[in-house]
Amino acid sequence: MADFRLQRLPSATPAAALGARILAIALALIIAGVILAFVGKNPLALGLQVVTSSLGSSFGLEDLGLLVIPLILTGLSVTVAQQIGAWNIGAEGQFYAGAFAASAVGLFAPLSGGWSLVGMGVAGAFGGLVWILIPALARAYANVNELITTLLLNFVAILLVYYVSTDAWRERGGVANSATPRIKAEIPEFWGLVHWGLPIAVLLALAMAGLLAFTRWGYEVRLIGSNPAAGKYLGIAARRHLITVMLLSGAIAGLAGMLEIAGSVHRLQGGISNNYGYLGIMVAVLARGSSIGVIFAAALMAFILNSGIILQTQGLTTSTVLAITGLILFLTAIGDELSHYRVVRDKS
Amino acid sequence: MIDLRSLSRRGFLNMAAAGSASLALPGLVRSASAATALPAVNEKDAVIGFGHVGPVTDEGWTWSHHQGVLAVKEKFPNLKKVLEVENVPYSADATRTYRQFVSEGANMIFDTSSTGDFLHEVVRRAKDTAFMECNGHVLMDNLGWYYLAHWYPTYVLGVAAGHLSKSGKLGYVASFPVASVYTSTNAFLMGARTVNPSATCQTITINSWFDPQAAAQAGTALIDNGCDFLFGIMDEAAYLQVAEKRGVWAAMWNTDIRRYGPSSYVSSIIIDFKDYYVEQVRKRLAGEWTPTESLFAMGAGVDRDAWGEKVPADVGKAADAVRTKILGGWSPFVGELKDSKGAVRLAKGQKMSEMDLYNWDWSVEGVTGL
Repeated sequence: MADFRLQRLPSATPAAALGARILAIALALIIAGVILAFVGKNPLALGLQVVTSSLGSSFGLEDLGLLVIPLILTGLSVTVAQQIGAWNIGAEGQFYAGAFAASAVGLFAPLSGGWSLVGMGVAGAFGGLVWILIPALARAYANVNELITTLLLNFVAILLVYYVSTDAWRERGGVANSATPRIKAEIPEFWGLVHWGLPIAVLLALAMAGLLAFTRWGYEVRLIGSNPAAGKYLGIAARRHLITVMLLSGAIAGLAGMLEIAGSVHRLQGGISNNYGYLGIMVAVLARGSSIGVIFAAALMAFILNSGIILQTQGLTTSTVLAITGLILFLTAIGDELSHYRVVRDKS
Repeated sequence: MIDLRSLSRRGFLNMAAAGSASLALPGLVRSASAATALPAVNEKDAVIGFGHVGPVTDEGWTWSHHQGVLAVKEKFPNLKKVLEVENVPYSADATRTYRQFVSEGANMIFDTSSTGDFLHEVVRRAKDTAFMECNGHVLMDNLGWYYLAHWYPTYVLGVAAGHLSKSGKLGYVASFPVASVYTSTNAFLMGARTVNPSATCQTITINSWFDPQAAAQAGTALIDNGCDFLFGIMDEAAYLQVAEKRGVWAAMWNTDIRRYGPSSYVSSIIIDFKDYYVEQVRKRLAGEWTPTESLFAMGAGVDRDAWGEKVPADVGKAADAVRTKILGGWSPFVGELKDSKGAVRLAKGQKMSEMDLYNWDWSVEGVTGL
């Protein structure tokens, strides 16, 4: 009698990966649907509402287009760091640091119009870069785990933004909540609410994919990431690469913060990130290390988040929506892992 | 001098024009200059949306607005849809929520906790939808705002605090350094200082309207600092429970929540939006709605709650005498007023207008922490 056993493959075939993902999402939706039916909601009507609202109207599509911008960039930030084997859990903090630096330029630098936007973009990327500088150096020279250092700096950045937006830079009089005055330089919109940050984010993802796939630098980075010992043996400057890649990762997250300020929020204030930094980790997991995959993973994430808002207008509570979102992502992650396995038959 | 920079020119002119009419309806009511009414809608075709800052179960701010939603549903049982979303964050997600209301056909949308620019982004792109922003500051052709003249009952509570506090150190649990918090702390301390001229008000901001844990921590810190009377502007009852445990007085906001701290409870700023929401929806359906600015007067949507069981009768009586005086038209907000740095901000004899009080953005002498 033949024995069956599971064999783990180093990388899943694209067909298996896609199949597992579709299966996981379908399963999550079925579970959620059954639960909703039990509490007296009509899951099919809700599903139809989600699809028609988000994909069937220009309002819905614009919302997706706007939401996907920061998700692409924070997802890309985490993915880039992953290439060299670093976990950037601090995209949230770098997002805030970028927003902070960009706002400083937008509010106080004597630049006008387009130059102000360029200045804000440079400042945003630089802000994110500075925010990851210490974790990058600590990891490179003292082997300090970047998971902890990048994570802890998130709280510092968030509180820094709260401090300036409720104190030093606050707009006096007449505003609803604490925020800086409105920043004059705004990224133009090209489609409803959607601004030019979208093509910038997509192009950046494509450029990163190209750099990693086709340049010597990209090859060395990926090599160190998958096998540090081999990289050392080959004489690759691992430390320099590690620092560069981590700084790049921080700069990308900082740029996300700048685009959010100049593109849609226009004032520096607490809470602007909407957890985009943490969601970026999820996007990176879904993208499975592919910079181009980040675009699609971010689109999926945007669709899930936007569906959550639609479901809330249909009378579902925030916690129910959060539970459904969590279920989808949880099962997707399990499906991804399972797609690495295949069943083989032992002949004895 | 009063800071008038925050008033628009139109707002200022309307204020002067409405001066005499403001006695009529709830508090100050003004309407936008030339905005035409949106066309009538059949009740059975109408969609009304409400976005809240917290959960409707908070027994406070959001719960009170939810009572207004229920009143609308009861008065207009045939509405096609009433959309209601809780926990709308102060971020671009607020824009997404209100846009979703619009794409589901909302004829009228209430933002019950001023999301500002995030809402206005939607208002500009949905000209056929009527928007009302609670504690808003901007008027557009399809956007009005409404709020409460809470500073009067707050002043009354301040008088009670002046009598009840032995240390003269009052503590305040604040959300953000915004106008409603400045007005609230200032009115509270001014009331207290009529009894105890050396009273002070120490403020802690917790960057949230609904964060029971942070509110409880702030309350504890204030009591540790010697405060024996807590006030605040939270959507829930956390610091009342702290006050009860530590044996100090507490005054609250929104609803009667004395059961969380029966022996500490002094009173509350009680709010009521039911009649207002029903009337606004009626106008929208009838084709009479135009954007207006309303501040509910004391006794017409905002008031103090019945005094707590441990509040001595003479303290309640003394504070109520001030309340009666205010209802008769007297204003306590008259100069000379100094700010927390000691500079004279309001000359002797000068009276603050309702809009000055609504937009207050500096602390009076004795208030710290904002």
